[in-house]
Amino acid sequence: MKEKVVAMLLAGGQGSRLKSLTYDIAKPAIPYGGKYRIIDFPLSNCTNSGITTVGVLTQYQPHALHRYIGLGTPWDLDRHKGGVTMLPPYAEIDGIKWYAGTASAIYQNINYLTSCEPDYVLILSGDHIYKMDYEKLVEYHKEKQADVTVSVLEVPWEEASRFGIVNTDDAMNIVEFDEKPEKPKSNLASMGVYVFDWKKLEHYLEEDNSNEQSSHDFGKDILPKMLAEQKKMVAYPFKGYWKDVGTVDSLWEANMDLLDPSEGLVLHDPAWRIYSSNPQLPPQVITDSGRVQGSMVNEGCVISGTVNHSVIFQNVLIEQDAIVEDSVVMSGTSIGRGAHLSRVIVPPDVTVPENYQLLEPAAGITLLTQDLIDSWKESGQQ
Amino acid sequence: MTLMAAVDASVKVAGLQDLTIHRSVSSIPFAGRYRLIDFALSNLVNAEVNSVGIFASQPFGSLIDHIGVGKSWDLDRRKEGLFFLPTAHQNGGIATVGSFRDFEDNIQFFEKSRQAHVVVTSSFVAGQLDYKEMLAHHLASGNDITEAVGAGGSLKSYILSRKLILELIHSYREKRILSIEDLVNLKKAPYTYGIYEYKGYFAIIDSIEQYFKESLGLLDENNRKLLFLPQEPIYTKVKDEPPTRYLDGSNVSNSMMANGSTILGNVKNSIISRAVTIGINASLDSCIIMQKCTIEENCELAYVVADKDVYIEQGVKLIGTADRPIVLRKGERVTKEDAQ
Repeated sequence: MKEKVVAMLLAGGQGSRLKSLTYDIAKPAIPYGGKYRIIDFPLSNCTNSGITTVGVLTQYQPHALHRYIGLGTPWDLDRHKGGVTMLPPYAEIDGIKWYAGTASAIYQNINYLTSCEPDYVLILSGDHIYKMDYEKLVEYHKEKQADVTVSVLEVPWEEASRFGIVNTDDAMNIVEFDEKPEKPKSNLASMGVYVFDWKKLEHYLEEDNSNEQSSHDFGKDILPKMLAEQKKMVAYPFKGYWKDVGTVDSLWEANMDLLDPSEGLVLHDPAWRIYSSNPQLPPQVITDSGRVQGSMVNEGCVISGTVNHSVIFQNVLIEQDAIVEDSVVMSGTSIGRGAHLSRVIVPPDVTVPENYQLLEPAAGITLLTQDLIDSWKESGQQ
Repeated sequence: MTLMAAVDASVKVAGLQDLTIHRSVSSIPFAGRYRLIDFALSNLVNAEVNSVGIFASQPFGSLIDHIGVGKSWDLDRRKEGLFFLPTAHQNGGIATVGSFRDFEDNIQFFEKSRQAHVVVTSSFVAGQLDYKEMLAHHLASGNDITEAVGAGGSLKSYILSRKLILELIHSYREKRILSIEDLVNLKKAPYTYGIYEYKGYFAIIDSIEQYFKESLGLLDENNRKLLFLPQEPIYTKVKDEPPTRYLDGSNVSNSMMANGSTILGNVKNSIISRAVTIGINASLDSCIIMQKCTIEENCELAYVVADKDVYIEQGVKLIGTADRPIVLRKGERVTKEDAQ
């Protein structure tokens, strides 16, 4: 019989540097790529990797996520056996226990994991954009007879000090964890994707929970402890596109990456579909005056203006003589005649008035807000 | 609600032959991402009709694949919901809507229902028929059978009581009538007949010419606004296609585009379905391209209807006319030599 892998998807993150985009929703629920939410990527990876038992751990602003994932139907995770289970913090006899760190989030759901009877537990992060075959990762873990396998990615050396760096020997055995090192010894960054032997994980989670000094974090506590106790830890070299969108700029970049056929993630791959909740909308329409170049446009849009090098989500209305360039326009937004947006992220359901322009274009990327629109109106520039 | 529905998906429409070699009229693709039956089904569920029988005859593989258990229409119910009712005959379906012989094959659907009234409808009319309003009109009129009519023509939707349809199914042979449509056209005694006037948008797809005209008619904003009402959505089987990509150098205007396509060439006055590729420097004018077609570079197409999976090799020139569009059958591959 096939050994059982259960995925635990950490989706409780706030992503405060994404400003108003995450006031009401958790970071994994952020819209991305014209129709997706970030969490679609790890969930679809699970589906495409044949992992059918997935626990989703939520904490910060969980409602949008719970509603979005529902029974897990879009990802084929509405199963009689396994399927998706939403795991928010809960109250018990001893009181309510919030998830203090990544490890405590898993520890507090140890009963869930036990009931799943896994052989291996895959720890995933709900806010990374990438396509990965977890089955290969688990195979590698088994081949190496590891206690834990950490998926790593080669990052440019000059950026290595921004990441949790993993130092290995030639056989990819992990010899050291280096959290955001000033002088990195390697450029292999941890992706926050781990495979554990369940029994080992259970042991270390229990031990970590009773350690009052611990911050209950995989990267800071569990993995270093296992390393110190000379457990077999190996690094799995992942090759491909991977992005952690922590800021407005990096969210914009990740969207722009999709427009570069050589650079970004390939979404048009029938063999590795990214599944998502599909609203029932009519096809998009490019009218007589519409002009679209180097862009992605989703269903329900009506484009009568000019769209250049942009990602346009569903149900966006772009009126005649409006210009949108190098921008990300999220669902349900309308952009009035003569408005001009450049290097902007427009959040969902915004009405951009006629002739609107950013008053003081920032050097980086602007996240459009109602406040910016209101102050433009007050400035009397229209 | 006291209404159940019998959707006739086996009716034979002679003028659509090229598009119905592998499928019934009900599953002909329309408006970029829909099948014709989606409109009838969506109108029904939007009117809270939750007991829907689909009367089908061969070839219905494409229809079954599309409908499944009816999840996209919220018809996957424990109570009632969707019933797929194929005819027991080798040759089901006749030229008029609501064949009694097909109904007879599945008479339990009508016998077992708890609903008081039945709407019998075709599956080749796209519109926003309000069955709640039609039923209210039917009940107020006191007539035995009410027919929906738009701009003076029949919309091939009929409401009658369940009791009456059972009576007709039992007696159609001796009455010498074939179908509901047949009965209404003949106005046989002793029944009384009324009409319900529908004033919204509709498209009757009963020939290639109509198919072509009505498809491109959706490029008119007024028609679109009447067919795609945000509060009365048209549901269809969802596909997980990514947004459509418009590459640098492409040029698209006055066109309706479904998701999942990759456009490098020029498209105007056209309807492009899901997952279509249009190569560099290809030019399409007034074309209907169904899903998964590939149009290679430097092609020139005008007034062409390409069914699913058509592959047009580079440099092909195909010019039809509005009255006689060129129809390419499902899966056809067209080379430069063929086109000459």
